[in-house]
This record gives sequence, C-alpha cells and structure tokens, in this order.
Amino acid sequence: MARMKFLCDAERCIECNACVTACKNENEVPWGVNRRRVVTLNDGVPGEKSISVACMHCTDAPCAAVCPVDCFYTTDDGIVLHDKDLCIGCGYCFYACPFGAPQYPKQEAFGVRGKMDKCTFCAGGPNDDNSDAEYSKYGANRVAEGKLPACAEMCSTKALLAGDGDMVADIYRERVMRRSGRPQTWGWDKAYGAGV
Amino acid sequence: MKLIRKSASADAGRSSASAFPSMFHTAMDRRTFLRRSGLTAGAAAVGAALPPAMMRRAHAAGGEHSRKDGVPVEIRRSVCTHCSVGCSVIAEVQNGVWTGQEPDFDSPFNLGAHCAKGASLREHGVGEKRVKYPMKLEGGRWRRLSWEDAVNEIGDKFLQIRNESGPDSVWWCGSSKSNNEGSYLQRKFVAFWGTNNIDHQARICHSTTVAGVANTWGYGAMTNSYNDMHNCKSMIFVGSNAAEAHPVSMQHILRAKENGAKMIVVDPRFTRTAAHADQHISIRPGSDVPFIWGLLWHIFENGWEDREYIRQRVYGLDKVREEVAHWTPDRVEDVTSVPEDQMYQAAKTLAENRPGTIVWCMGGTQHHIGNNNTRAYCVLQLALGNIGKSGGGANIFRGHDNVQGATDVGPNCHTLPGYYGLSEGAWRHWARVWDVDYDYLRGRFDDGQYDAGGGNMTSPMNIAGIPVSRWIDGILEDPDNLSQRDNTRAIFIQGHAVNSQTRGPDMKEAIEKLEMVVVSDPYPTHLAVMSERTDGVYLLPTCTQFEQRGSVTASNRSLQWREQVIEPLFESKTDAQILYHFATKFGFADEMFKHIAIEGEDTPSPEDTLREINRGTWTIGYTGQSPERLKVHAQNKHTFDTTTLRAVGGPADGDYYGLPWPCWGTPEMNHPGTHVLYDPSQPVKDGGLTFRARFGVERNGESLLADGSYSVDSELDDGYPEFTFGMLRQLGWHTDLSRDELEVVASVAGVAAADVPGNLRMADEAVLEQLDGVNWKTDLSGGIQRVAIDHGCAPFGNAKARCEVWQFPDPIPVHREPLYTPRYDLVAQYPTYDDVRASYRLPTRYGSIQAEDFSKDYPLVFTSGRLVEYEGGGEETRSNPWLAELQQEMFVEIHPADANDRAIRDGQTVWLDGPEGGSIRIQAMVTERVPRGTVWTPFHFGGHFQGEDLVDRYPEGTAPYVRGEACNTATTYGYDSVTQMQETKSTLCQIRAA
Amino acid sequence: MRNAHSDYRRPLALVALLAGALFLGGCYEDAGDVTLYEPGEYKGEPDPLLDDSGTESFNEALRERFAAGQTDR
Repeated sequence: MARMKFLCDAERCIECNACVTACKNENEVPWGVNRRRVVTLNDGVPGEKSISVACMHCTDAPCAAVCPVDCFYTTDDGIVLHDKDLCIGCGYCFYACPFGAPQYPKQEAFGVRGKMDKCTFCAGGPNDDNSDAEYSKYGANRVAEGKLPACAEMCSTKALLAGDGDMVADIYRERVMRRSGRPQTWGWDKAYGAGV
Repeated sequence: MKLIRKSASADAGRSSASAFPSMFHTAMDRRTFLRRSGLTAGAAAVGAALPPAMMRRAHAAGGEHSRKDGVPVEIRRSVCTHCSVGCSVIAEVQNGVWTGQEPDFDSPFNLGAHCAKGASLREHGVGEKRVKYPMKLEGGRWRRLSWEDAVNEIGDKFLQIRNESGPDSVWWCGSSKSNNEGSYLQRKFVAFWGTNNIDHQARICHSTTVAGVANTWGYGAMTNSYNDMHNCKSMIFVGSNAAEAHPVSMQHILRAKENGAKMIVVDPRFTRTAAHADQHISIRPGSDVPFIWGLLWHIFENGWEDREYIRQRVYGLDKVREEVAHWTPDRVEDVTSVPEDQMYQAAKTLAENRPGTIVWCMGGTQHHIGNNNTRAYCVLQLALGNIGKSGGGANIFRGHDNVQGATDVGPNCHTLPGYYGLSEGAWRHWARVWDVDYDYLRGRFDDGQYDAGGGNMTSPMNIAGIPVSRWIDGILEDPDNLSQRDNTRAIFIQGHAVNSQTRGPDMKEAIEKLEMVVVSDPYPTHLAVMSERTDGVYLLPTCTQFEQRGSVTASNRSLQWREQVIEPLFESKTDAQILYHFATKFGFADEMFKHIAIEGEDTPSPEDTLREINRGTWTIGYTGQSPERLKVHAQNKHTFDTTTLRAVGGPADGDYYGLPWPCWGTPEMNHPGTHVLYDPSQPVKDGGLTFRARFGVERNGESLLADGSYSVDSELDDGYPEFTFGMLRQLGWHTDLSRDELEVVASVAGVAAADVPGNLRMADEAVLEQLDGVNWKTDLSGGIQRVAIDHGCAPFGNAKARCEVWQFPDPIPVHREPLYTPRYDLVAQYPTYDDVRASYRLPTRYGSIQAEDFSKDYPLVFTSGRLVEYEGGGEETRSNPWLAELQQEMFVEIHPADANDRAIRDGQTVWLDGPEGGSIRIQAMVTERVPRGTVWTPFHFGGHFQGEDLVDRYPEGTAPYVRGEACNTATTYGYDSVTQMQETKSTLCQIRAA
Repeated sequence: MRNAHSDYRRPLALVALLAGALFLGGCYEDAGDVTLYEPGEYKGEPDPLLDDSGTESFNEALRERFAAGQTDR
C-alpha cells in the first residue's frame, strides 16, 4: 500500500517560495497562516541550505496522539487529516508537532486562537470531496481528483516531491547516486569526512 | 467528557476580514519574518492593512473568485508574465472567473514548475488593487472619467504640444511586458506620431548585452537555451542570481549539475545561486573586465585556448592578448579583490570542462562600461571555443517575460522593429511592409537638423530618440543642449515602473515640471505618487497579458502563444486597444491599421499584427512564426524533448519548441527555428548557423570571413558574405527564385515586373543590376533566404566573430573605474570617458563626475538586485497578497563589521544616503551575505519617498499591500557609452542609524 | 388610519416573537449535537475520501500523476 510522503531535496531547493504561494493559491489560505514555509539554515554563508516544511503526515502522528478531542484521522495512504468541527483550537498539537505545522488563524473576538489549520496534502477534510463546504474549511481536495499537492507539483526545481513514498525515494536515491562524490552534497562531509 | 459540536457553518472557527491589526511595527528581516509568522501561533502577523476581499475569499465558499463545485471548468493556456523563462500556465475558468491554476507538465520549459510569482498568478484574475477606470488628478484629488473624455483630453493636449514644439516633445514609453503584438504596435504608433522618442525596459536591463553581443557575432540574444544547459560541462554565472531572478531556470541548471557540470558563481554577494555553486567568487562591483581578463590571463598562460576554433572563427583576439597581458594576477587581485588561486581554479575549471556556458545578467550589464563587460564575456567564450555548441554558448538570461520580443520588434528608440536601424533604407523597408508612403511618414517628423553624435547633423527621423534611462533629462536639460527642437513636455508611459530607474530626486523634479503625465498601466505605479503634482496626471486602466491573447518571446528566442484567460477586468483595455483609440484621435488609425483587422469596436487583431511582423522582420527570422504554427506548438507541448527542444513526431515534428528565431523564410517554408545559434554542426535548414557576416568582409587587409568553417551541407565550403540578389547571380543561384519571388524582389528594387523576363537568362543585364542590391533583409518574398538555405548556406553570411568592435569607444574592452568609485586611487590609471556632447539627443557626463572623490564621505559600495517574490518595480507583485505577505519590508544588507562600525543592529531602521543627495529610510539586515564594504538592496519597492509613506496619494483602494523606499531614490548618474544603460550596480553610499 | 397602523404593527410583533424564539432556542441543547468523547476514537464526520484511498486504482492514478509531473522527464 502506498504511503504518501513529502520529501524536500535540499540540493535542489532554492528557497523560491513557490510551494508557499502555490499552497496559498490552491487552498486560499489567509494572510498570516502558513501551511507550508521554507526554512533556511546558514542563511547567507557557505553551507546555506533550504528545505520546505509543512505537515509531514507522520505515521505515528504526535498531534493525533495528544489531541484532547481526537479530531485527527489518517487515510489509508497515510495522509493525516482532522475534523475542524471537533477541533477546539487548544494548540496542544502545536506543542507536540516537531515541525511547527499546526497553524491557528486569528479570531475576530477571541484573540489569537482559532481552529487548527494545517497542510492536508491537498486532500481536503471530512466533507464531500471538493464540495464548497470542504473547500471553504479545508481547501482543495486534489487527491480525490487523482492529483498531488500543488506545492510539489509546482516546485520550481522539483526539489519538493510529494507522492507514494516508494516513488519519492526512487527519485531521490537516483539523484543522490548521480551526485555522489561531490563534497558539497549536504551531509557528505559529516558522513564521510571532508575531502573524501 | 462532553463536547458540543456547533452546526457546520462555513465560517466556523475561521476569522473574518476586519480583525487584524492594521500595522505591524516590529522590525523583521527577510527570512525571520517567515519563520516567526509560521512558527508562533500569535504571529498571524500582518504588515499592511489587510486585504479584505482576499480574506473573505479565503473563508467563504462561494467567494467571488473561489472555485465552485459543479460549475463547468474551462481550460485556458497562457504563459507566466513574471520573467523570461516562459513558464506555461494552465488557468481554470468558471463562468468567466479565474478560479484555479494547474501545473502544465507538458511544457518543455518549466515541466509544470513555477516560482513564488508564477505559483500565485491567479491573483491576476482578482486585481483588487488595480486602477479600475480612467482617472485624472485634479486639484490634488483623483477623479473618475470616461475613456472617451480621457482620450480626448490627453489627445488634445498632445496635439497642442505637437503644434507648438513638434512631435519630439512628447516622450513615450512602451513595455517589455507587452506581448509582441502590443510592443510592435507601440513602436509603429510613434512612427506615425512622428518621433523616435519611445523606449522600453531593455534599455535598462540588457541593452549593453544586445549591443555587445550583436557586435561580436551577429545577434543580440541568448545563444542557446535554458534546456540546452543540460548539456553543459561547466557554467559560470557573472552578475546573475538565477535562483531569485529566474528560479525555474534552476531546474535545468541543477539537472546539469547533477549530470556533472561544474558551477561557478561570480557575484559580490553570496547569493542563493552561489549557495548551489562549486565555487563562489566575490568581485568588487564594476570590475568585470579585469576579472574576465584575469581568467584569460591564466587561459593564455597555460595554452588552454582553442586555437583551431580561433583560427577559423575568431577575428582580433591578438589585440585582446595585449590587453590581457596587462592583467597579471596581482593587478587583478588589487582591482577585483579576487586572489590568484581562485582565479586560477576558475580558469582551470572552465578549460577542463568544455563545452561550458556563461550566464550573465544585470550585475554585468548595468554599468557605465556595460558594453565592455558583455564583450569581454563573449571574448572569454570565443577563446574557449564555446560559442555555437550545444552545452556552450552565452546564455544571457533576459528579464521581463517579453523583453526579448519587445527588443526584437518593439519600442526601441534607436531602431525600427527587427534591428533595421533608423536609416532611410530602414524606413523605406518598413514603409513597404506597412504599405504606406515613405514621404508620408517623413512628413510626420520634425524637419530640423540636429547633432546625432560627434557633430554629425541629421534629421530627427534618423536620430535615436531619448532612451528610457534618460527621459528625465529630456525634461530637465537646457533645450540648447538637446538634439531636438524642444524639451519633453508630456510623457505617456505604457507599462513601465519608473522606480527601477536611477536618480529619484531628479526624477521627481522632472515629473513636476511636465505639463502632462499619462500612466497606462494595470496599477497606478510609483510614478503616479512620487511627485507633488496636484494636476495633469492621467491613469488609464490597462490589461495584463491574461486579459488578451498574443505571442511572447522567451529568453531563448522561442515564441509562445497565449490564450486569453479572462475578459478585461473593470474598465481596462489592452495596450493595442488604447493605441488604436489614440491613433483614431490623432487621425492616423486608417494608415496604421491598414492591414490589421479591427475586431469588435477597438481590438486590433493579434493574429494580423503577428502576420505583419512576419512579413517585415527578415533580419532576425521572425518570419516563419505564424500564429497558426505557434498555436500548433501550444497544443502539442508534450511532443517536444526537454533537452533538445525538438518535437519528436506529432504535428510539429522536427520543429524546435516555439520556433526560436531565426526561423527563416516564410511560414510555408517550414523552417524549424534555431535552437543553438551559430552551430555549424547542423544544416541551416535544421537550425544550424555560422557567425553572421555583419561587419564587412575585410578589415585592414585581413579577412573577416570564416576560414574553413562552414555549416554541414553548405555548398560554399568557406566563409562568405551576406546574401544579396547580386550574390545569387554570381553563384548562378538566382534562377532558383520562383516567378512570384522574383516579382517581389523587383518591386523592392523599384523595377516593374514586366521588365523582368520569365527566363532570367534572357534578362537585360542592366535590369538585373538594379535587382542586385536587394538582400536577404529587404526581400519581402523570402526567396533569397530560401535559395541560400536550399544550398546549405546561412542567409546572413559566414564570418568570424570579432573581438575588436572598432566603432565603439573602447574597441577592445578595457577597465574603467565606476563614476562613483570606492577606489579613487585607481582613477588615474583607469579613468572613465570624457563628457560627451550628444548621445541619444542628450549630453552625457563622465569625467566631470569622476573628477570628484566621493569615497571619503560615502565609503560603502552600493549595489542592488532582485527578490524572488517580486518583479521589476514591484507594483504588480506587491499588490498580490500571496507574495506581499512574504516580503513586507524594504531593507539593506550590510556586513556585520560595517554595521558595528556604525552602531547599527539587525532590524534597525537606517538612512542610506547617496552621493547625489537622495536618501532612503529602510531596515538594516546585518548579514555576511555581502562582503565588508558593500551594501545591497532589492529594487522592487516603491510608494515611499525619502522617509515618507505616500499611501495617501494613491487613488482609493489602489495602494499596494507592501510599500517601501525605491532604492533608486539613492542611486546616481552614470550611463553606458554605447547604449545609455544606467549604472545601478556600482555606486556609493553612507549608512546611518535613523 | 387605525387600520393602517395595526397592519403595520402586526408583522413587527411577529418578528419580535420569532426573534424571541430564536433567542431562547440558543439556550437549548439538542442531544443530537453532542459528541461523547472516548479516548483514541475519532468521532468526526466520515471522510468520503477514505472509501477510495488505499485502493489499487486510486493509488495507480496517483502514481501516474507523480510520474507525469515530478520526474525530470
């Protein structure tokens, strides 16, 4: 069975933020909410690397483990989704998530907390697929249409891959093989020592 | 535990529009902003007033621009408008509203990919901040008016100015963001108005490239393509930050790197492109020539040059050797700051990894010696034997989406479409194409005699107009110093961001001096707000390219057809429609649109316009790309190989994608286009070429034609000059011309068809001699091109590329210190030029500026560049909330040492003062990305001026979400000696805490 | 005049009554809207996507899409 996975190839990521705006465009995510973002390490100095981060759709998702109302569920393909009608916006999942994926839109009356919002792997939520109700609450459901997340499908350099984990791994492995021996490959120095 | 589930209303749990704080005061730098807003729940932080409609849309199903379940979806195919890569876009339209955007995996250019700008294109269908109807500024207030009134009021004023001061007193600006048809009509329009005073952004982006490259080997364009870079063994980027300026190109570049190509990035900053390179070399801004000569020093020293290639295909390299000999490693290090070992390593990489390509962009071109820089890059590639080879080439990444097309056929002040120039012959050629009387056109122009440069007196019809870099001087300069009758009194700017130009305070003064300012643009632009004018500014709502159809030329010379995605928003009109209305007002619409059908009320047919371009643009082979052929390509993108760009089977079998020019002859000739320029390993009929014979056949007794190099299948196995009817006759090939072709040749020569007998062997010698002068550029039948290619020859001849451009101020590129140099000690040895009396109608200063040493008071080198989220002057992209959210502050990158020396901390507000008096109030970003002594700012901001937010000056609801100081408020004087390119990449400044 | 006045008033009274009913209705807790929480059990709406996800044809479609869009072609 397929397990849907994201992988961001740091050798290809150029921090162009296409994944971020593709997500905004596709899901009409409001200003201030970032289901996906690009994180840069060593900004501006040799060794600078960027990766695009969103919900990683963990197999044993800490968000689901800690959720006091159990609003999370996982599809057979491993996509972690949640029901916003159950969510109480407590923010516990934000504590638990290692990637900072959960987002909380501002509320009109109650300050900072709203129902939790996060990357859905462009798979919507528990409403009729691609209904107006689902779109307004969760965003697009590309997966139901046989498509993959907009962020990866529009990635400028095909750094961000999204799909069946086995296929993602195949592509990544092939790239790593082709790059092997280039000392600037991320992690190479650490794994094998400089100059190898 | 008991939970209460509320009924599932669409808004449950989500915020609504108005609750966000209106201002965001905390200082944030570029990347931390994103991290903070993403990682902290409370930081749903908002920079500017929130975009209410976007918020509503994000929350309510059934929002005006949201997708609707169950409503049929129509697919429209267009091309991204944010850079020259040419990324295909699939738009999903429901009930005329653009509700979805899908990746176009079929495109061989982008394979579905986009950057931040391309992935947010759908916002173009919203256009919340657009100018919505014609407006004028009256008594300090914006007032709505009808299109009819706008055209009449503007038209009457222009006609009055024309009567009083002549047609040269209105300055026009076209656009690199217009499609080919729109930009072509912009150029044609001013020809009928009677001036050459029109220009577009190419002047300030790659004009020095076009001039330098065309004068080296024939054509001023990218020689290969992004895709062809898959074949590179090495890639050197000079002043190009592709990761931010051309992000999707990086897909091809990183593929090349994975295939083993070595990558070198030469840039003062450690850019995001440099982060992916094998070697980053930080040079001092403005020292490109010493850097390139420094590489060549090692190449010559080690005998790494390609001697056989040079013998066959290169002229004048010996003189370069003499100049290179001066640039010993220690001198290079002194001037460029690059140590010998780095230079040697780079030279060795390039020598050992061929074919290799060079990529350059604005970091190389925007200098007062930009043409020297570009020619030096060319010489490097010629010495290595890299030009005319797949995997090699000069891959010059152009900027705007159609800057290549607008340069080729659009609004340039120094040439008619197709680089024909402004000579009488050029005018007569286009008069024939337009089917108008030459004397009629001549009569439209001012008839005085003025200095065209060097005291050469001629008429304004033949003098290059005022370029976009200098329009402010057309207003401010003493009229006695101008090469035209009077000052500029009004401007009409269609699709240009003036904040991308230098000398902000001078610009403000110039705008205030004008009698009328017309802005034809989707947005008000910085121009509408930067001055203190209270009257006489008109805003004409103008369509983006998604509201019209037409063709667009990507950087690699491929043409793509755009379908119309949506109807014009609000009361907007297209460039062509607006020009049609003014042509009607001025009384030349019938002549101008003689062979271009008007669809509906006011739409000049894009197909007819392209066909007219096809009929006239023989010089660069814009003749084979008929709308029909382009549409076949648009429908069959998946049949093109992603590396060779060639269609394998299918309806476009054998064509290169987008028929990259030159696509010789008529469309019926079916030439496939030319993927790699000057590549003799292919027959010309399959896209092969030689170097163009553009500079004569000999120089000081030495042949300029190729020596033993010729393209595959050529029946002439040596160099040859460009083809004329006379040359066909010498070769006995003139009888290959069809009767129809012959009659056209005769008519171009002014010979009656009846005087040319059916059998040319029976023809009167005197008659044939009259035809001899008709050449491959002026033959409107395409017959001469066809016959040359049938014999395996390039219509433009087969010559050597030249390293010495004897017409230019510096025939062999030499180093000259920037006008505002931090190394004043080098000025004595590497001085700039003397001031020039007349160039493009204006005096131009060099030595008189460099005479003063500014480096004590302004010790920091100031250079500028791009951010991936924004484009150009940024008005459009800063009005797109999906992009605006990602970059909310104008900032300056400053090295920690320079910051500490000035007691400035990261995120602090500072003043950046330029030596000509402009100051900008911005945020400091302390980073080692810039070297010590150099500061860098992005150039996309506008809407602030010297510390003041001009938000109140925008018409209601049109201020971009993000505004900031234009960096060019603090930049300075300096223009290229050949093209009037502005110097933005090397000036000086001082920074102090605000 | 009187008639007209009362005609005018009657709908107002109706509106007031309705509003009152709605207001009171807000205090009422419908037993059908209560979700009893049990640890580890998802009690939200069922997602129709789950009917398809994991099936071979569904996965095959996504694999084809992946191959079309995310490889270097």
